[in-house]
Amino acid sequence: MANIIEVKHLSYKYGEEQQPALKDVSFDVHAGEWLAIVGHNGSGKSTLAKSLDGLLPFTEGTVTVDGVQLTPETVWDVRSKIGMIFQNPDNQFVGATVEDDVAFGLENRQTPRSAMLPRVKAALAEVGMAEFAQREPSSLSGGQKQRVALAGIVAIAPEILILDEATSMLDPQGRSDMLALVRQLRERQHLTVISITHDIDEAAGADRILVIDDGQLIEEAQPATIFARGEGLVEMGLDLPFTAKLKQALQQRGITPPAGYQTTAEMEEWLWQSLSNT
Amino acid sequence: MAISFEHVTYTYQAGTPMAHTAIEDVSFSVPDHGYLAIIGHTGSGKSTLIQQLNALFKPTAGEIHVDDFTVTPSTTNADLKPLRQHVGMVFQFPESQLFEETIRKDIAFGPQNFGMSEADANALADEMLTTVGLDASYAERSPFELSGGQMRRVAIAGVLAMRPQVLVLDEPTAGLDPQGRQAMMALFERLHREQGLTIVLVTHQMEDVAQYAEQVAVMREGKLVKFGQPREVFADSEWLRANQLDVPRAAQFAQRLAQRGVTWEHLPLTAEQLADQIAAQWPAKGADHV
Repeated sequence: MANIIEVKHLSYKYGEEQQPALKDVSFDVHAGEWLAIVGHNGSGKSTLAKSLDGLLPFTEGTVTVDGVQLTPETVWDVRSKIGMIFQNPDNQFVGATVEDDVAFGLENRQTPRSAMLPRVKAALAEVGMAEFAQREPSSLSGGQKQRVALAGIVAIAPEILILDEATSMLDPQGRSDMLALVRQLRERQHLTVISITHDIDEAAGADRILVIDDGQLIEEAQPATIFARGEGLVEMGLDLPFTAKLKQALQQRGITPPAGYQTTAEMEEWLWQSLSNT
Repeated sequence: MAISFEHVTYTYQAGTPMAHTAIEDVSFSVPDHGYLAIIGHTGSGKSTLIQQLNALFKPTAGEIHVDDFTVTPSTTNADLKPLRQHVGMVFQFPESQLFEETIRKDIAFGPQNFGMSEADANALADEMLTTVGLDASYAERSPFELSGGQMRRVAIAGVLAMRPQVLVLDEPTAGLDPQGRQAMMALFERLHREQGLTIVLVTHQMEDVAQYAEQVAVMREGKLVKFGQPREVFADSEWLRANQLDVPRAAQFAQRLAQRGVTWEHLPLTAEQLADQIAAQWPAKGADHV
């Protein structure tokens, strides 16, 4: 698979701080993949996401997005390829109505009005928010607001979508709806998705997980490998998956489940066989 | 009883064409030192309900008792000050309410407002900092230099400084990472156990309900549609799913095994409870290498 993003030896230091927020981070993102970036609060993962979009001027290293190396001259070009959704939907609304807000990105790109109207409409329909076009953003629920943010991204059709803890303020229903929607869009628009998250379910759906700690990339692996870490997951800013919690509890009671990470279905199968084997 | 609601109805903008009944004929009670979780969809009336507890909204009909206090539609605001000291409210994202130059001043603000001397309020602030798991070395710092989770602790310390007997928490762990979430829930559990605080928790986290709550209230469209112990409420998982509410993971898992013929003495709600019941029926030595 071709690389859509290449990050090489990236370092970043905030103003007066002694410690760099990012230290010599290098990794690639494959076109079309879903990459999760995890790490506890303050590990540097949001700094990393902002560096990719040129929101923070990194001090050392290079970022190449879709063949274009990120520099002050190319930053607008690079940004046109990346859509970002942040944690708090209230901090990213600019329009007085839902449709104005979705149109904002297109206006910035000087899209003619005749082309803009159908694209806004289509984008809202895509996220299931067509009937809310004339509503004030403040009258929406958190989940609806994030869907509108997503519509804003659909309208400009970037190659890459970065979710910076975009589901962490939503209720469980809102969260699973949002993730399902992103999955759908990814299929339809061949998006590459980078999600920065603490949510174990969101991380489980990724093709690959990067673990950031103390500004450094400490691990890169598939979800099953990462989830086999047990207690170590908490250090990574993730919760233990349910099967890992159950395994721990069983081990404390002298029962030894199979090694490695099991999905819920695998664990269920193993327990059923063991219990019916009397 | 620490809390009892008797046929409480609350209508926003009552008597106008904009009138909207947010909660309707709600009755329940919570024993002294209880731990109640309130669950339900966004818009189901949860937040309106908890704002009755310190009379930010007074009922349109019905009566509310909180320990020795009674709130009725005719209660006047002048009577409410002691109640507001008695019931501590932690709203969503309470860190957004921090405003003082230093953490000590921020925490001491409430008690001073209620007539405590500055010296006493400052001493109390330092004590509350320790209670929420920070320490007095933070007292002189600006609250705005802290991480989100730490800011939230400071905001909670400000509520605890009022020495409330009832602590009302509206999604207190929203937006925190798993470690921060666990630490926060452990703090409330400690206050509940060690200081006997009555806790009312509004949450979407069914795992927290399973682990901490002694009673659960389910709200839907302004009505209290289910009330009981977590085990009773979660036992009706089909009903919960039909209402788009989650069942704790351990209960879901146990129910799938039950469909395949495994029997449970009672429905386990946490991994620990599930493991207990599995261990109790685990085949004797030799079968665990399948």
